[in-house]
Amino acid sequence: MGRYVIRRLIQAIPVLFGATLLIFCIVFALPGDPIAAMFGDKRPDPAIAEVLREQYHLNDPLLLQYWYYISGVLFQGDFGVNFADVPVSQIMAGKFQVTLNLALTALVMEAVIGVGLGLWAALRRGKATDTMILASTLLFISVPTLVTGFVLQLLLGVKLKQWTGADIFPVAGTFAGWRSYLLPGFVLAGTSIAYLTRLTRTSLAETLRADYIRTATAKGLSRRRVIGRHGLRNALIPLVTFLGADLGNLMGGAVITETIFNLQGIGNQLFQSVYLREQPVVVGIVTVLVLIYILANLVVDMLYALLDPRIRYE
Amino acid sequence: MKKTSADVLPGLSEGGAPGDHPLLAVDNLHVEFQTRAGVVRAVNGVSYTVGPGETLAVLGESGSGKSVTAQAIMGILDMPPAVIPKGEIRFKGTNLLKLSEEARTQVRGQRIAMIFQDALSALNPVFTVGWQISEMFRVHRGMSKADGLKKAIELMDRVRIPAARQRVHDYPHQFSGGMRQRIMIAMSIALDPEVLIADEPTTALDVTVQAQIMELLAELQRESRMGLILITHDLGVVADVADKIAVMYAGRIVENAPVHDIYKGPAHPYTKGLLESIPRVDLKGHELYAIKGLPPNLLDLPTGCAFHPRCPYRQDNCVTDAPPLHEVSGTRNSACHYWREVLDGEHQ
Repeated sequence: MGRYVIRRLIQAIPVLFGATLLIFCIVFALPGDPIAAMFGDKRPDPAIAEVLREQYHLNDPLLLQYWYYISGVLFQGDFGVNFADVPVSQIMAGKFQVTLNLALTALVMEAVIGVGLGLWAALRRGKATDTMILASTLLFISVPTLVTGFVLQLLLGVKLKQWTGADIFPVAGTFAGWRSYLLPGFVLAGTSIAYLTRLTRTSLAETLRADYIRTATAKGLSRRRVIGRHGLRNALIPLVTFLGADLGNLMGGAVITETIFNLQGIGNQLFQSVYLREQPVVVGIVTVLVLIYILANLVVDMLYALLDPRIRYE
Repeated sequence: MKKTSADVLPGLSEGGAPGDHPLLAVDNLHVEFQTRAGVVRAVNGVSYTVGPGETLAVLGESGSGKSVTAQAIMGILDMPPAVIPKGEIRFKGTNLLKLSEEARTQVRGQRIAMIFQDALSALNPVFTVGWQISEMFRVHRGMSKADGLKKAIELMDRVRIPAARQRVHDYPHQFSGGMRQRIMIAMSIALDPEVLIADEPTTALDVTVQAQIMELLAELQRESRMGLILITHDLGVVADVADKIAVMYAGRIVENAPVHDIYKGPAHPYTKGLLESIPRVDLKGHELYAIKGLPPNLLDLPTGCAFHPRCPYRQDNCVTDAPPLHEVSGTRNSACHYWREVLDGEHQ
């Protein structure tokens, strides 16, 4: 297992280089001039602009610029500064915390609601409950986050507060602590909950048809034990993969949700930095996101081996 | 206190004399499956009995209803789609079909146990074999983990799995096919059941291992005097171990008899066909005999005798009249209008 982990981490190196280079090129190819963006509506003095260009290596070839950047990250842990001389690592630090809180809230909701509903549907297959759960997942899958976000913000965040007087789901940024994340977390998790519900339902239904379930019944075990121990333990395996891989999606997909709910997270920052052509910030954020994605996948693969004894990595 | 099966089945004393009742009696059992395409009549009036220490071989091709009957005895049919419109399954005189689900659960695994064809898929892949065997003791006998594991090692020794003490922590996929089937057997005999149903226990194994598994089953049966129902489509397996044979076709028993009688001379054309389709060394080079035609469509069974479309002895009344189970001798029955001709070997 140890060797496997090391091999996987080594494999992550080219992925990391590739992803950062790709992002670097894309940001470089964006139309517009970062120096002009720094001055807003005013036109910069050409001489000053030239000095700035030199200072930020903007006149050097693309690959050289990339090398300056990536060597700083690798050898000094220095993600550089943005065009206002604020270190990128400082910009990211607080923002990643917000996004991580949001993504983890979403992940927990996904696991609890998605798996819960899926199990419920699987055990009531073909009955009214099952049909209703399936129909509502279809609704969540087909309505975009943009719509669910604004609708829930209005209904549960604003109207509910007006009607009841109690601020159950605060929607004004992160001022209310962990409760600030409840509604945005749910909106972010929405489609994933729906997919996970369907995946859980299929997975358990399939598992319950397996021969070893028949054996467990023939052993004289209660239905509760047959499903709860023998069925669930096997049905969970594909769900863990989905959940782990989804953590990356949730963090990357937080842009819309953070904008709707005014959460100062990484998504919001990414959006602004792309807008301002702040290459170092964009690449920095994406690099960390790629890293998180790779680590999440590694953890999933290891969990997989833990859950399914038939899988051994060597 | 945990309920034992004796509490739930007051009529059933532990290991006591069965009195007038046979150990297990299946009586005129019918099983149907409600499907979209129509009603599948999988079992149509099957009756057989098994006594202590007795081995009944239930013989028949796929779809003959032999496994469905066994699953009905165990109570592991999915109902729905399965329904049991008629019949009784009596265990020491108690009709199991009339018991509550709770009482039924107490019989399953403890008094009547079952082993399945493919042990790899029948064992749970994510638990160690020790966990799976000891689960019987933990759940039904309230034993601790450690005690249950000790019992599991004893059982694995008893079914002759080498190095049981180490292997108890292994997972099913780490065993060979024969060893896996031994684990399946160990698990099924854990609580000393009075009846063991073996559903094609050797089909997935190679021939030498088949013989070892059959030998093991026979030996365990001698030690414990349990009744054994051996479901198979392999006549070769049956000859050595069975006391009596019930041959099934299209959900009915077409012939039942002591094993020697059947091999001496079948009293039903289907049994005869089965015996003749065994490859024989003295007929090497000849074409293998096969029963003509296809197995019946259970959705739309032939009129009269279900075997008539494939039968070399067919007469006009076979198409219209279903034959009753004729008494050939005191211990032998045949569901053929012309059993005498078949028995005399008059081929038509």
